[in-house]
Amino acid sequence: MLFSDRSLLTMLHGLVLSGGSLMLLFTALYSLRALSPNDGTAVSASQSNTFAWLTAAAAVLLWMSVISGTYVIFPLYRASPPEGIASLIDFPRALLVSRADTRWLHSFAMEVKEHMPWIAAMLATAVAFIARRHRGTVLADAELRRITGWLLAIAIALVSLVALLGVFVNKVAPVW
Amino acid sequence: MNNETDRLSFPEFQNGAAMAAVLAAGIGALAMGLLVIANEAGLFTAPSLYAKAGGLSGRSTFAVFAWLASWGILHMVWRDRAIGTGRVLGLTAMLVALGLIMTFPPVWGLF
Repeated sequence: MLFSDRSLLTMLHGLVLSGGSLMLLFTALYSLRALSPNDGTAVSASQSNTFAWLTAAAAVLLWMSVISGTYVIFPLYRASPPEGIASLIDFPRALLVSRADTRWLHSFAMEVKEHMPWIAAMLATAVAFIARRHRGTVLADAELRRITGWLLAIAIALVSLVALLGVFVNKVAPVW
Repeated sequence: MNNETDRLSFPEFQNGAAMAAVLAAGIGALAMGLLVIANEAGLFTAPSLYAKAGGLSGRSTFAVFAWLASWGILHMVWRDRAIGTGRVLGLTAMLVALGLIMTFPPVWGLF
């Protein structure tokens, strides 16, 4: 079999949910810049609604990624191998800590991946709330644009870092 | 009258709901950081709410509760007010930075 159920879950978590949320966050940040009027003119309702839906979709995907990561993928990752097992290939955490050159992938990369995405999800939710609550003004008001822009940028940086670390972990000790 | 007109009609834009969401995210980040650092320092260990996910399930759930509770309270207090964005942004940036620092594994060795 090319892909196991476990590896498909990992791909759903990493590629579809995390990757999707990252693309939507980037799109939202670009839209914030591209759709904002420079001359103080009003923004059309359709543009504001599009931005609101975009940020909402990004936040929802990010939350789905964070929750699936914590409650579906992480348990598969941290499963303890039974005594006397010959191969650790099915136990990613044990595999990583068994070698000195990969131990950092658990002690640093996975530890970062456990907690920082939750913070990114909270920030993305704040953006989605502002975009919805103030959809008539968020693209036209410089202050709201600045705030949402910063929150989006921080969320993008965090998700990018976590995704990169996830790639490293999955390269060495994938969930098969 | 649409929202855009509303915004232009009032000299003081009622941004309290937005500022509540922003500051609450900062509080949530700080809560996550405090729970992580307290766990690493052996001061407080959040209970495991889902055994297969270990302590992470408790830490993340508690942080989310802190985030939502603070958001609810701030929203109730600020929703009809105009709040200075500079101070809220600065405070939020500090809280998020603290939260991130405390979830950064190399920092745990200091405790």
